[in-house]
Amino acid sequence: MEDIKKAIVEFAESSKKTKFYFKDIEKAVQKVIPDAKMREIKKACTALINDGTLIYFSTGSSTMYGLKGRGMTEDPE
Amino acid sequence: MPFEPKEPQKEIKYSEMRIYTDEELNNYTEEELKNFKIKHDIPDLEELEKGPWPSFVSDAKQGALHRRKLADDRMLIDRDVIEDMLGQLQVSFDEGETHWKHGGIVGVFGYGGGVIGRYSDLPEKYPSIAHFHTIRVNQPASKFYNTDFLRTVCDMWEYRGSGLMNLHGSTGDMVLLGTTTEQLEPIFFELTHELGQDIGGSGSNLRTPSCCIGKARCEYALYDTQALCYELTQYYQDELHRPAFPYKFKFKFDGCPNGCVASIARSDMSFIGTWRDDIRIDQEAVKAYVAGEYVPNAGAHAGRDWGKFDIQKEVIDLCPSKCMAYEDGELKIDNKECVRCMHCINVMPRALKPGKDTGVSILLGAKAPILEGAQMATLIVPFMKAEPPYDNIKEFIEKVWEFWMEEGKNRERLGELMQRFGLPKFLEIIGVPPAPHMVKTPRENPYIFWKEEDVPGGWSRDIKDYRARHKR
Repeated sequence: MEDIKKAIVEFAESSKKTKFYFKDIEKAVQKVIPDAKMREIKKACTALINDGTLIYFSTGSSTMYGLKGRGMTEDPE
Repeated sequence: MPFEPKEPQKEIKYSEMRIYTDEELNNYTEEELKNFKIKHDIPDLEELEKGPWPSFVSDAKQGALHRRKLADDRMLIDRDVIEDMLGQLQVSFDEGETHWKHGGIVGVFGYGGGVIGRYSDLPEKYPSIAHFHTIRVNQPASKFYNTDFLRTVCDMWEYRGSGLMNLHGSTGDMVLLGTTTEQLEPIFFELTHELGQDIGGSGSNLRTPSCCIGKARCEYALYDTQALCYELTQYYQDELHRPAFPYKFKFKFDGCPNGCVASIARSDMSFIGTWRDDIRIDQEAVKAYVAGEYVPNAGAHAGRDWGKFDIQKEVIDLCPSKCMAYEDGELKIDNKECVRCMHCINVMPRALKPGKDTGVSILLGAKAPILEGAQMATLIVPFMKAEPPYDNIKEFIEKVWEFWMEEGKNRERLGELMQRFGLPKFLEIIGVPPAPHMVKTPRENPYIFWKEEDVPGGWSRDIKDYRARHKR
């Protein structure tokens, strides 16, 4: 779990983009940890959301994940 | 089976939880309403008040007048929200384009959906609606509320939001329209902690499941739609609130093929009640319909005189698969040809009833026209039993999700993925054997192809032997 969380944060920090689809996170994690299962990655994402590292972001119709503090993460006023 | 809640149910008493007095709720007269003008000029919207139909503009004006007359400390967001909303809508009518932008906020802390962030792009002109977020409230099965609950939600929403609501949105949720960012967490707290009420799904989540009135009020219900809807809502809480799907995913539950929630057109996974034995016929009641003793269609369509009931014209000739006959005072149905259109049962409900061996048909892939045009669902499981604890249904759902989450591209609906892969491949992956029931239009889409291993003896041949008999 900790490895997966680390991989997620590393990916989110190093990417040029600031918002990610879950699928992109999944692919990035599986590149580092090939046997990581989708459910485990989802649980790790949820844990990172709950501790405030990641945030959800809505495009209006689909939901993305972002790193808190990178890009537009607060109210888009 | 009596309803057994999975969480302790709280009894809500409006008298204890109300915010407003009766005087505050009825704080204007008809006369005042008649003379009331909102602060913006809205000629096109006022056109919508004309004609015989109820108008959201009239409703919104009532809300606006009500807010004008409330004391300052009796509401937590701007007094003018409704007036500004109407004003901005008039501008959109004038210019032919929307002034709402959405996105950003997705939910309250820890939730990946349920709140749709909405902002005005004319915040200087309409400051009250600079933030105008929508909250989806997970409706109870079949939308059965008690009035104490509804009145309590309404009071809370007048106090913390615009007071505008939508019963119900296309997703099925009760939709609360318009509040500010600061109010989201308090509203969530009040809904969940005071009212025992969860918020619904939005974004790349399982959307709030929705069902017809089912066995609660309908004799046609072929499985307990409310029980299945409730069970899956509770069982898939994680999918509802924590987005990990490629895009949205909707379940809807119709108790019978009449399809009152139109699940076949509106959900990625549609559950429609069906039966696999024979339609039950009460021949005496058929005779009574023919003799005019019973009113056909249970008295519906009685607005004009259609003449005497004609079973041949109104039932037998309208059967889509022509599997019925009425001869010598006896109704016959060739049940294996029945396509479950429900017409005969609807016309003569006292004489005909669906069979007793009931369950669900599961159809997949309906969607609205964002890509490729609108699509109706495709029948994938012709029949499955639907009885608690519904393990067979859950197993099927998870197989479909697993495939879609693995192969689906970002923002690709299940229906689009099925199209991209083709039905034979899709059936193979989820392990459902092809069946004639899946053919939408005979001879137009012959998508079932045999493979060599499916055919006894295979089909490899000795080409020399073949050529000996068939010249090139």
